[in-house]
Amino acid sequence: MNSTEKMNTIDLVNKNLAKRYRAEKRFKAYGIASIGFGLLCLVFLFTDIIGKGYTAFVQSYIQLEVNLDADTLDISDPSDPNQIAGANYMGVVKKALRERFPDVSGRRDKRKLYRLVSNGSGFDLRKMLEADPSILNTKQTIWLIADDDIDTYIKSASKDGKVFTGRVDEQAQGWVKSLIDNDEVETRFNTVFFTNGDSREPEQAGIRGAIMGSLFTMFVTLILSFPIGVAAAVYLEEYAPKNKWTDLIEVNINNLAAVPSIIFGLLGVAIFIGMFGMQRSLPLVGGMVLTLMTLPTIIISSRAAIKAVPPSIREAALGIGASKMQMILHHVLPLAMPGMLTGAIIGLAQALGETAPLLMIGMVAFIVDIPGGVADPATVLPVQIFLWSDSPERAFVERTSAAIMVLLGFLIIMNALAVWLRKRLERRW
Amino acid sequence: MEATASVDNAAQAEESKLKTMKEEVIAQPSVDDVQGTVGTPFVENAKMSMRDVNVYYAEKQAIFNVGLDIGKNEVVAMIGPSGCGKSTFLRCLNRMNDTIDICKVEGSLTLEGQDIYDPKLDVVPLRARVGMVFQKPNPFPKSIYDNVAYGPRIHGLTSRKAELDEIVETSLRKASLWDEVKDRLQAPGTGLSGGQQQRLCIARTIAVSPEVILMDEPCSALDPIATAKIEELIAELSENFTIAIVTHSMQQAARVSNRTAYFHLGKLIEVNDTEKVFTNPEHELTEAYITGRFG
Amino acid sequence: MDNLNLDQHISGQFNADLEELKTQLLEMGGVVQQQIIDAVTAIEQADSELAEKVMVIEDDVDMREVRLDENCTTVLARRQPAASDLRMVLAVSKATRDLERMGDEAQKIAKMAIALNEEGQAPHGYVELRHIGDIVEKMVNSTLDAFARFDVDAAVKVARDDKAVDREYKSAMRELVTYMMEDPRSIGRVMNIIWALRSLERIGDHARNIAEHIVYLVKGLDVRHTSVKEMERQVKDA
Repeated sequence: MNSTEKMNTIDLVNKNLAKRYRAEKRFKAYGIASIGFGLLCLVFLFTDIIGKGYTAFVQSYIQLEVNLDADTLDISDPSDPNQIAGANYMGVVKKALRERFPDVSGRRDKRKLYRLVSNGSGFDLRKMLEADPSILNTKQTIWLIADDDIDTYIKSASKDGKVFTGRVDEQAQGWVKSLIDNDEVETRFNTVFFTNGDSREPEQAGIRGAIMGSLFTMFVTLILSFPIGVAAAVYLEEYAPKNKWTDLIEVNINNLAAVPSIIFGLLGVAIFIGMFGMQRSLPLVGGMVLTLMTLPTIIISSRAAIKAVPPSIREAALGIGASKMQMILHHVLPLAMPGMLTGAIIGLAQALGETAPLLMIGMVAFIVDIPGGVADPATVLPVQIFLWSDSPERAFVERTSAAIMVLLGFLIIMNALAVWLRKRLERRW
Repeated sequence: MEATASVDNAAQAEESKLKTMKEEVIAQPSVDDVQGTVGTPFVENAKMSMRDVNVYYAEKQAIFNVGLDIGKNEVVAMIGPSGCGKSTFLRCLNRMNDTIDICKVEGSLTLEGQDIYDPKLDVVPLRARVGMVFQKPNPFPKSIYDNVAYGPRIHGLTSRKAELDEIVETSLRKASLWDEVKDRLQAPGTGLSGGQQQRLCIARTIAVSPEVILMDEPCSALDPIATAKIEELIAELSENFTIAIVTHSMQQAARVSNRTAYFHLGKLIEVNDTEKVFTNPEHELTEAYITGRFG
Repeated sequence: MDNLNLDQHISGQFNADLEELKTQLLEMGGVVQQQIIDAVTAIEQADSELAEKVMVIEDDVDMREVRLDENCTTVLARRQPAASDLRMVLAVSKATRDLERMGDEAQKIAKMAIALNEEGQAPHGYVELRHIGDIVEKMVNSTLDAFARFDVDAAVKVARDDKAVDREYKSAMRELVTYMMEDPRSIGRVMNIIWALRSLERIGDHARNIAEHIVYLVKGLDVRHTSVKEMERQVKDA
């Protein structure tokens, strides 16, 4: 009786076993599927961005024989920097183009011809002349940046498949072809993109200004939010009495972490710009606004890190006669530091990608100059991306994607830094 | 025939005896009625004297009118079932309970006549005089040397490296750990075995030359060999220090202590010489606990 | 915790172990008691067969002693008893030894019975033997009862009875010595009776020892090497 019952139990178990295993496999499959979906989205995003953006890292240059004679440049006294600065550089470039394509006539055609090279070519010439005044009155073979339309056309032509002509008509295409046939066109690494500030001309636009703006803003955010956040976390965890007020503060901090960032922007406008009368578009103000936004994240993660320090370590320190401050400084903070740093870096990474509050405080302005400090007007990477994505020029599309790649690169570096710091500082107990 | 009859009689008598004992149990006063402490809670040459100690966690009273002396160079063991207040009482002795906001201590607790709950008294020097060793070995995540040197450093016992080295060595020697770690003083303290870690914690405590050492279940996380080493160490330390130890192991209390105090639901039921407690305790609750009838 | 059940261990097996020790001791006591009764009867009724039986049973008693000792050791090793439990195990262990000695003495009495049968009856001493034998037998009985009930008062009474046995033994000795002086030819046979009386007196002493173990077991008092009065006083005070 008993043994048959036992047999039955085992049979029943065996019968259900296959079903249980199938259920388990399904359960696992759900997880794998969702991760796969996530990865797929990521791959799609990256291929899209990289596919659009990688071409922005190269730039077409056109070779021209430019005659830098003083008359055409309108320079009478080479020692006068004002004259050098104000010289008619575009004139010589236009002359060089006319000489390269002598059969072009008519005002419209000529104007079209001049648009082969960038509007900013004059600046490049000026820089060359300023660097080496001896080239005045000589003939120089110079590589000039191609205009954005021409650049897009050249780059799409060098790719297989569809050639994107855009605003480049057949006559101009012919000129470009003849330049290409004579090896007078070259694509090089786009240093301009990393060394210039913003520009209306895509081929002259760079992200250096935005990067510097971001760095200054992050700097302000870091030196404000980390000490304040850590101090607040230490007080709340170690000193604050447990009562209604601290509960209220705690709830509010948690809520602040979920407040939309644009609200912080409005707050920044109202307080820093409205009440304190600070200038708009400053990394200083941006950093302060982002500090407000980052603080809850840093406080919450710092508190978690402090909480994670085993109570036995505190007891050990107190039991030996350490004062509370000694306990915190000698034991709690060093042990909590990796967690707090990670939290701070994650918070900063979040701030780095933030756009909305900075729009509110005017960091969306078109700023060509590269900021030299926290008090110079600046824009930041995500805002730059936002600006470019709005621009109609075809060449800005690839630059937008390239800027996104740069921003993602920064985020990856920051996250890697967080991981590295954690590994480096983490101590076992 | 007669013999078997006598055995039967005995068995019957036994049964009736059991019955009466059970009735007695039902009739016997509950712990709430326990008044005062039996045995010898007070001694002549007391290092620490506690009188009428009441401890509250918010509304809940954890310790009821406990009076106990800890004699100089004596090892007092505190035993009792979980939640009986023995650890709470121990932590009152160096004001470790201060870290808990809701904890309130009443009564007189003195260290050599000095009130340790005097608001004017600084808790930092008190804890240097009354050191504590905890249940879980808790070395700092620093080197062995720094662990032991930490106390002397923060109390500013010495500024000279040579003196500090000497303190570290003597402390480690007293904790019977020197020979095992002298070649790796800069190795992390957390890399030692559990028993070594606990001895390191003891060395860290005695490095500031306390007068009293409180031990809160110091062996509960250790294996028997490590436990035996710590117990041996306690016996050696009692020559120079006064020791109060809370333990869950009654055998340990029996092995290491001079006097044993039995706590029950926040009350100090009995204090007596350890031999007496373990062979012939005075109070029935003590008896019941140490013979394993509850706990 | 409010519902204290102080007469039961948490470990039921521990309870059973201690109960088993006690039961075994009482059983052994029963066997020894029967041995004593049989030995005395063997002399009285000149029954060599009964005397032989007493001597055979002695092996059983020895075996029981060994087993009890083993069990005591096991409990000590496995349970590390404390307080009353510790005293219980110690008392059982010691009482076992005393019971075994009693068995030895009973065996000696049985040997005397055989000797008396071979050498012929003694002319005197049977009354004293019967009398002391009755007292001792009662003592042993009440000792076992006291052990079974943890009855200290009964144990003290046993100690008092031992005094009476000593007195009776001394007076019987005096009488028998006088008799031997009157009739030197009977010395050999009377000596057999004296040996038997001596053994009974020793059994009484062992009973008193067990009584002292009972006082130790119940009250935790060591009343060895004290007078009965002192013993009574201490028991009262405790």
